[in-house]
Amino acid sequence: MNLQKIMIQTWAFVIKNWIITKRNVFSLFEILFWPVVGFFSVGLLTNFLDLNADMAGFILIGVISMSVIQVCQIDVAYVLLYDLWSKSLKHTFIAPVHPFQFISGSWLIGVIRSFIVFLLLSFLSILTFGFDFLKPGLVPLTLFLFGLFLISGLIGMSVCILVLIFGYKAEVAAWSITSLMALVCGIYYPISILPSPFHEMAKGIPLTYFLEYFRSFYGFEGGKNLLGWGFGQIVVYLVIEAMLFKIVLRRARKTGVLIKLSE
Amino acid sequence: MGIAVRAEGIYKTFRSGWWGRKQKEVLKGIDLQIEEGEVFGILGPNGVGKTTLLSILSTLLFPDQGKIQILGMDSLRDGHRVREKVNISSGNANFLWSLTAKENLHFYGMLYGLNGNHRAKKINDLIKLFSLEEHQDIPFDRLSTGMKQRLSLAKSLLNDPSVLFLDEPTVGLDPSVSITIREQIQVIQKERGMTVLLTTHNMKEAEYLCHRIAFLKGGEILTTGTAESLKRMIRVGDVVKIEFKGTILEDELIRADGVINYGISGNLCEIIVDDGERRLGNLIALLSQGDLQIKKVTLGQTDLEEVFIEFAKNNDSDMGLCD
Ligand SMILES: Nc1ncnc2c1ncn2[C@@H]1O[C@H](COP(=O)(O)OP(=O)(O)OP(=O)(O)O)[C@@H](O)[C@H]1O
Ligand SMILES: [Mg+2]
Repeated sequence: MNLQKIMIQTWAFVIKNWIITKRNVFSLFEILFWPVVGFFSVGLLTNFLDLNADMAGFILIGVISMSVIQVCQIDVAYVLLYDLWSKSLKHTFIAPVHPFQFISGSWLIGVIRSFIVFLLLSFLSILTFGFDFLKPGLVPLTLFLFGLFLISGLIGMSVCILVLIFGYKAEVAAWSITSLMALVCGIYYPISILPSPFHEMAKGIPLTYFLEYFRSFYGFEGGKNLLGWGFGQIVVYLVIEAMLFKIVLRRARKTGVLIKLSE
Repeated sequence: MGIAVRAEGIYKTFRSGWWGRKQKEVLKGIDLQIEEGEVFGILGPNGVGKTTLLSILSTLLFPDQGKIQILGMDSLRDGHRVREKVNISSGNANFLWSLTAKENLHFYGMLYGLNGNHRAKKINDLIKLFSLEEHQDIPFDRLSTGMKQRLSLAKSLLNDPSVLFLDEPTVGLDPSVSITIREQIQVIQKERGMTVLLTTHNMKEAEYLCHRIAFLKGGEILTTGTAESLKRMIRVGDVVKIEFKGTILEDELIRADGVINYGISGNLCEIIVDDGERRLGNLIALLSQGDLQIKKVTLGQTDLEEVFIEFAKNNDSDMGLCD
């Protein structure tokens, strides 16, 4: 019975994001326009530079991963952003729901949306650039995607944390964290070319390991035990963010942010 | 009957600016006891901390100090369980803009864990109760203020709360809608035996709905009592105006029960009494004893508005505190 209740509460956030997505033209842009435009502009650039198939593949993996993460994390970020924009934050927090429920509910819809983006882009990549995402096999692909989804969850959560601290000022984080990660984690280049502090930073971000892991199937030399590092770091960050979330929510109830952002 | 809300020594200071250097002391030691099934009103000037107090009691805000028990549960430790049993509706309510009225109710219904059929039935009942049928499929941002307010009340009843917090439930509504909503609140409260904590700037509303009223000022509760006892406390009293012919027995008049003061000008006598309705009979009997002929009697009752103004302007020190 209690489990049913928890599931209904979690499902509420899936439905909410789904209805808002459905009703908003802008969200169509988010899952179709930007990913496709980004994909083609980078894909065509690789053609122009006359990169060999391996190099082009390296970059396409990066581009598609970026799109998947961006679409998935924004759903998690939206869970509080929609409330923020509607000034309805306090009604979510006066209901007996746990942050775990709204994070996982909105993450679920993010996974669905970004999986659609992935299918679309990988279909386009084999069609137009002859690059096959299924080459590593179904299991590695699934592990890779699962890693990307979890990373998106982590980014979305950090946006939520920032919203609870900074309110409206945190909006920019929803769009900038992913780009910042792209810079550091080697979306378009191997991290070995990064200068010193960034190189070490990249090693502290799980995305680095998942990209290396997936690229290793296409002939790019990767480190050892990449999945272990990737998932291990994800677990560590999840624990840290869960604790942070708790602290930040307590702080929000102390400072009155929840009420102030609802007026 | 048990105690629904018990608050002891609630203090709250808001901090802002760098390192919280700017401080605003809002609540300075609030004690409250509200019985189950009671409708309790909180009055006070703008910015005195009514919303802050309601937010603290509804677990949205932590106090700096103090103890709060809601239905016997420690609301600071057991917030999650308290949230199952309480709900809030505020004036100028905001819900998710692009969801329709009905979708919003479904969303919040799900947050309270209501399952499919049960939820659908409850929402339909609430939509009917608040006459939202024609508006149920309109997105929230296109609803009128009155409809938003009704939706907010409907939302606040989704979990059948035992304690309901209403923050200015009729603010910004036209008089006829306000009256309807007020009546609905009363009917629902009686039917369900809910405890209601309400803030308002509308004195008629307070008088109509509340069993007891607290007056908040300077971060403290200045006084608590029924509307009647508050009126008595400020000794404004009711005014009995008598048009007469003849002479008034002034000595007897001032000694009569309940008379606070009087004044005579020409053939009009204004008598201030503690409770007009109760004293009127005696007064007339007393005055009729001599050669006095009474032409016309009018009874003007103090309303809560005067009490409010009196409380709001007086210094704390010259008020008779608490009953
Ligand atoms: N989250 C907050 N952060 C900082 N200050 C706040 C916050 N919430 C309220 N205040 C301040 O606390 C004081 C009390 O505010 P509150 O909203 O509780 O008053 P109120 O009695 O409800 O007023 P009104 O009658 O206008 O609704 C105000 O001076 C307000 O500026
Ligand atoms: Mg207020």
